[in-house]
Amino acid sequence: MAGNKRTVTDDKAIIRTLEDNEEKGFRLLMEKYKEPVYWHIRRLVVNHLDAQDVVQEAFLRIFRSMRQYSGENSFKAWIFSIATNEALRLLGRRQGREMLSLDDTTTALDLMCDEYFDYSRVEAVRLQKAILTLPAKQQLAFNMRYYDDLSFKEIAAAINSTEANVKANYHYAKEKIIKYMNSNN
Amino acid sequence: MEQTFDFEKIGKQMPYTVPDGFFDTLEEDVMKRRAASVSNGKARTIRLAIRTALAVAACLALFFIVRSSLQHDSDAAADDFENVELAFSNLSTEDQDYLLENFQDDLFMNNNDIN
Repeated sequence: MAGNKRTVTDDKAIIRTLEDNEEKGFRLLMEKYKEPVYWHIRRLVVNHLDAQDVVQEAFLRIFRSMRQYSGENSFKAWIFSIATNEALRLLGRRQGREMLSLDDTTTALDLMCDEYFDYSRVEAVRLQKAILTLPAKQQLAFNMRYYDDLSFKEIAAAINSTEANVKANYHYAKEKIIKYMNSNN
Repeated sequence: MEQTFDFEKIGKQMPYTVPDGFFDTLEEDVMKRRAASVSNGKARTIRLAIRTALAVAACLALFFIVRSSLQHDSDAAADDFENVELAFSNLSTEDQDYLLENFQDDLFMNNNDIN
């Protein structure tokens, strides 16, 4: 992932820059979040081309909604909330619905072949398969905690849930993944 | 059940990859789409402003046309009355007396509300 030497700007500095100079602020925001947001979306929608569309839509929505960010929750949680909603919108469209609900028991996804997939990473493939068997809420709780290092509070803010609920979903997810990995060894 | 799976061994590895230079072009693609959406928004605002201005101009034009038409009717009515007055004063005293005697109480000539 992000193995570059670029300076990571503090969120508060990004917000201040956005207020002073929208263009410059938006570039700072993209520089910091383009990779985490893309990978977050990619883990949910799986296919690269879909993830590419969704990540662009997510950043455009972030740009359009900047004035709606109240500062009540962390900026990172707010960005991930928009990215998650855009991904759920795509997953919903795949099922002929406007948006996939967080209460859906499955995202109905399997790993779809595209050229941007490394099948030689056998364990990593199995782990993603395990994650994709989880209900939407558990997938999100697990992904955002495990891969993106969001706090339970931030995840709760991102998916409009409670911290306790997110913790429970994360632990259920972890248990199920371990069970899947052990049984499919 | 014995747990053999260890998250530590995989860490954050994923089987997903992206095309070379994808993240560099992603930033530019988003900035282009953003610029396009801003300019579309501006174009939409300008179009809306032009339409509003045209509608206001049309309403004003209609207002002045109707007002001028009403003014013209009222002026014409005033002119007609002055002409009648002038014609009456040009008549001889006998003729004026005759007309007054015969038509002063004429219902159709004096009652404007009849219509």
